Amino acid sequence: MFQVRSDEPKYAHLWDQETKVENRYGKKIETAPENDVLREQDFIINDEIQQQQNPNRYKQHGFFLNADNCIFCHACEAACSEKNDNPAHIAFRSVGFVESGSYPAYERLNISMACNHCTDPVCLKGCPTRAYTKFAEYGAVLQDPDVCFGCGYCTWVCPYNAPQLDPVKGQVSKCNMCVDRLEVGLKPACVAACLGNALDFGVIENVPENRSQAEVSIPGFPSPDITQPNIRFQQTKTLQREVTRIDDTPIKYMRNDDTGRYESVVDDKHGHQRQWNLGKLLSSHENAHALFTLSVQASMGMFVLLLLGSEIQQSAAFIPLLAMMLVLMSFGLFKLLMHLGKPHRFYRGFNNLRLSPVSREIAGVSLFFAGLAGYSFFSLFSYPLTILAANAFAIIGLLGFAAGSFYMYKLYRIPARPFWDHWQTATAFYATMLSLGSLIIAWFTVGFMTTPPLKTLSLIAAIGIAIQSLGFYFHARYLKRGTGEGGASHYTQTTVFGNTYYLRNALFGLNLIALSVIAVYGLNSVTMGIVLSISLLVAAYLERILFFAIVIPTTMPGAFFWKNQGFVEHAREIGLAEREQVGVVYEGHHKFNLKELLQTVRENSIKDIILHVRWIFTGK
Amino acid sequence: MIFGRGQKKKIKIVDKGVEKWIYSTCGYCSTGCAIEVGVNAEGKPVASRGVSGADVNRGKLCVKGIFEHELFESSGRGDNPLIREHTHEGYSETDWDSAFKTMAAEILRIQKTWGRDSFAIVSTGQLLTEEFYTLGKLTRGVIGTNNYDGNTTLCMASAVSGYKRSFGSDGPPGCYEDFEHTDALIAFGSNLPEQHPIIYWRMKEAQEKRKFPLIVVDPRVTALAQSADMHLPITPGTDVVLLNAMMHVILDEGLEDRDYIQANTNGFEQLENEVQKYDPVTASKICGIDEDTIRTVARLYAKAGSAMSIWTMGINQSTHGSDGVVGINNLNLVTGNIGKQGGTSLSITGQCNAMGTREWSSCSGLPGYRYLENPEEREEIANFWGIDSEFFPKQRGLTETDIFPAIETGEIKGLWLVATNPMTSMANTARIRKTLAKLEYLVVQDSYADVETTQYAHLYLPAATWAEKEGVFTNTERRVNIVRQATQPHGNSKSDLWIFNELSKHFPQAKKPEFPEAPAEVFNEMAELSKGRLVDISGMDHDKIEQNRGIQWPYTEAQAERGEAPKPGGKRLYTEDGTFSYADGRAKLIPLPFIDNNEVPDDDFPYWLNTGRVVEHFHTRTKTGKLGNNNKYSPIPYMEINPDAAHELGIRQGEYVRCVSRRGDAVVMAQLTQRVPPNMTFIPFHYHDCVNRLTLGLLDPHSRQPAYKQSAVRIELLADQKAAAKMSMKRRDF
Repeated sequence: MFQVRSDEPKYAHLWDQETKVENRYGKKIETAPENDVLREQDFIINDEIQQQQNPNRYKQHGFFLNADNCIFCHACEAACSEKNDNPAHIAFRSVGFVESGSYPAYERLNISMACNHCTDPVCLKGCPTRAYTKFAEYGAVLQDPDVCFGCGYCTWVCPYNAPQLDPVKGQVSKCNMCVDRLEVGLKPACVAACLGNALDFGVIENVPENRSQAEVSIPGFPSPDITQPNIRFQQTKTLQREVTRIDDTPIKYMRNDDTGRYESVVDDKHGHQRQWNLGKLLSSHENAHALFTLSVQASMGMFVLLLLGSEIQQSAAFIPLLAMMLVLMSFGLFKLLMHLGKPHRFYRGFNNLRLSPVSREIAGVSLFFAGLAGYSFFSLFSYPLTILAANAFAIIGLLGFAAGSFYMYKLYRIPARPFWDHWQTATAFYATMLSLGSLIIAWFTVGFMTTPPLKTLSLIAAIGIAIQSLGFYFHARYLKRGTGEGGASHYTQTTVFGNTYYLRNALFGLNLIALSVIAVYGLNSVTMGIVLSISLLVAAYLERILFFAIVIPTTMPGAFFWKNQGFVEHAREIGLAEREQVGVVYEGHHKFNLKELLQTVRENSIKDIILHVRWIFTGK
Repeated sequence: MIFGRGQKKKIKIVDKGVEKWIYSTCGYCSTGCAIEVGVNAEGKPVASRGVSGADVNRGKLCVKGIFEHELFESSGRGDNPLIREHTHEGYSETDWDSAFKTMAAEILRIQKTWGRDSFAIVSTGQLLTEEFYTLGKLTRGVIGTNNYDGNTTLCMASAVSGYKRSFGSDGPPGCYEDFEHTDALIAFGSNLPEQHPIIYWRMKEAQEKRKFPLIVVDPRVTALAQSADMHLPITPGTDVVLLNAMMHVILDEGLEDRDYIQANTNGFEQLENEVQKYDPVTASKICGIDEDTIRTVARLYAKAGSAMSIWTMGINQSTHGSDGVVGINNLNLVTGNIGKQGGTSLSITGQCNAMGTREWSSCSGLPGYRYLENPEEREEIANFWGIDSEFFPKQRGLTETDIFPAIETGEIKGLWLVATNPMTSMANTARIRKTLAKLEYLVVQDSYADVETTQYAHLYLPAATWAEKEGVFTNTERRVNIVRQATQPHGNSKSDLWIFNELSKHFPQAKKPEFPEAPAEVFNEMAELSKGRLVDISGMDHDKIEQNRGIQWPYTEAQAERGEAPKPGGKRLYTEDGTFSYADGRAKLIPLPFIDNNEVPDDDFPYWLNTGRVVEHFHTRTKTGKLGNNNKYSPIPYMEINPDAAHELGIRQGEYVRCVSRRGDAVVMAQLTQRVPPNMTFIPFHYHDCVNRLTLGLLDPHSRQPAYKQSAVRIELLADQKAAAKMSMKRRDF
């Protein structure tokens, strides 16, 4: 039990006397009706069964921020980090700010933000390991770092920057709503610590004493439509029409006079100079994702094309091609695995098959890999039974391909990441299968066949490149027309990475022309073949790494140093990140902890494993 | 909804395993928050929390207090005394006894060769009051140098001087409870949300219960200015003009409190004659506040049932700092706003124990607000200490800001720095470096061995910090509160009290004061000496202070004997007519002619340079710079610059720039914000080798406090950003 002092101040106590029945979206505020099974199961904190003291335990709670009052004093952040014993680089709650007006009619709006314990928790749905639970108790969305394997997908989908991926520990942790305090009738630590009388907490839709508003949005806060966050705001002080961010993100907010809402628009704060920034791309932590998707897509493309091309199946190129696909898949999966914060927990990737596109992607890709491996193995023989087996594995491979490739695309359709949330992601991914798949096959056919089907392969690759280019066109149009973060991504790709971006476009154009020519006239020059191949590979890599590097999430405004991505990058580049007290750490790879894996294996019986699998599928 | 699917998960929440909470008082600013340090089963401090029942902070703490328990283990703490013969050599560790022997021998040698006052002592506002008192006794009663001061000269000297000039004694007359009664509040150069967040919260609580107008006078749109009903963006260094003009309006319109003036003040006519010259039209041209606003604010203040003024460094740190304080006092005297509920002239103090040093350290006189200039008071203290009163100087010696020039001129040859860091905190630090390098002997006594001054020291004495020892602090509202020991001193470091006591044994005087060992005994000595004084603490003792979560002085022995419990808060000074500390019981109204001697922007140095603090850092960052959860919010030096000015100079957000003044230069990162006007930059003063390389620090004629906030600079964009970043980083490598 959290220890309550005999003289605990009044402001630290929860205050809800009456509560509403439904929230503004028409959802019940009561999380579990009387006698519901969820009420009967023990609520255990630190191995201690909590005796229900809080009469509102089974109601959705949420934070309340009176943004007029927030003074950026960091007391909430400090109280949170003190309670949760967080190191400097991790914060469950952060204060950022936006500014408007000019001296002396200047206004700064400070926004203190933690987890909003959303009604529709995208983190929970996205997490492949099922580390997240939305508890009936207080409607708290809690995450278990001991389950997490550190993929960071929740940090991609959350619009509020609530889950914190710790590059040191290689796992995510987040706001726990201080449910231990709630159990004894106290508000969360951050609220009790607030020095501006800005933060409050209670049953959702209840308006604290002396407060008159309960808005769902303030300038700088992402659209509440994505997750139905359980936070309410008061903000009565008027700001100017234009509200700017001080952090590095090229976003500002403009008031829409029709709705009164502030909408994000591009802020061209980095100027219009076109740069390469290739170093940034090449050293990006996101290369793991780029190489994983590229190699898996290449392999998938090859697999499908091979199954369709009986001529190649019967050629000497067949076995080397199978080997190549296995190599590519192994490489891709290795990259994916080793980018995890806890790679040895890889098997948990299937836990959330019922909800998470990441789990489904992992399952699909694994299935594909299994199909490919079986198909490859049985293709080495030519007995009737092995042929049958090879065909069976081919079908498994195709099923894996269908599921894996679809969810590989689907998982990037994240509303909080408008740059990705477009059908172009699909064209890019599937077209890559065509172009890279046929490119690799082409090389093997050149090596192992007397009459390599270069014209056909070039045509397939050309179709891929054409589809992808069409995707680029519509994507750019969508980004330019759309407001906010998508536009900011486009601004970044045409300025910060401008030269690289235009090089990518030029390469795609040239490649399309070259491939079309070959598709019609064939190819006789080896040099030309090498040049085109390099051009295709470079274009594919640039496309993919830009895809990952440029995305700008709809997230909370940061401050000047703290929660400013620009400063984080600067601190890493200059070496400030070596100092623990700067609050920035380096990203790095984590070792595969075989010991932990073996321990898990030892500690779990076959029965446990069966139970676990049942849990994955039934949820029970 | 997707509630806990399947079996409900067990929840793990950090439990730090606190076994015991130890009562203490925060060691950062002078708000005086009561804090409890949580100690785990191994006796290790692992948590901090505000004391709910304490009237000052009522359970709250600011970002610094919340992590104060991490200080004990922070990097750079000193383990053992370090010694060296020459400053170009490395240090070697030594034991305490040898350290004291050498130190005493060196002090005696210097004094013998160059005179008693050639060895100076500069202390701080950071020690416990018992330690201040003991250091005072050691300095005044044993070592006998008259060049002894605290770094409070850098922050509170103007307030002290202004109080003394107006009321006849130091001692802020108001209290935090005044917020709950006031009908108008003016904050002059005080940014409560960053400087004193808990006082801000007390004000906010009061405001939410009963709305009263808040007027903020500040050249920057600070957090407080932003939440003010009226913000007066004044031209730096012209507060006296604004105050004179306000009084002009008040007297012109007959809004003054005649009865109060007659019963309580002297000098009204002289004041009236002087403020005649400051009609709002004339004043507005100087101070930058338009005439209508001056009139509105003056009327509001004078007509309010009770009105209070608070101020901090915006007033104190200027060439007319003392005058500014006197001006505020004048305003409150003519409107009858002293000693009444919600009516006061309240200096919001800086360091945790700036008040303690003012009251008891003997820096500017003798203990208990006694003056060296007063023969009876010299006699009284000499008798109490058991020494010859002729040993005392008959006049106060040099202040900190005059001690350094005296080192330059060669009058002072040796220096002992106690818990202060002039290499970051003094204006024009390049000059301070040269000055320190000139010393024959420098002793640095500090909790941190990596404090910059150790670069020039011959002896370093590692001191215990904060709750590694026991004693009291006095806060802004004259509340004496206790620090209990929560943990053992780091390494072989020792409490400052022990250091002073032990050192005293190495001086050969025949008639020497007693040096009690226990802090509680030292407190009792102070209590004895306080009897009948303004600062009467004779009703208090350590245990009673803790039981009451701090007691405001005066609380007398007589009150205690009567069984009268100390009030939880709301104690004021000068509540009765004619009780001011001047002999006739009247306060002085002092005319304040304005002389503009500031360095102002010109063609070569076109920007005002303003300095100040940020909430996450304390002073020269020796403490907060080590704690990630404080430091991360502003880990490197930066400046606020107006975006329009930045665009003219081609400076973009986050770029490194070089600021140049007539004294030197500093490299900072540019933060573009409309918080500052186009002709001003603001640089926090916490960073080593930064803003104080630029500041001029002209001295106030009365308080000798430096004017940090009025200098002129030019700004240049640095071509090699990477080199600049590296340089900025290397400047302070913890």
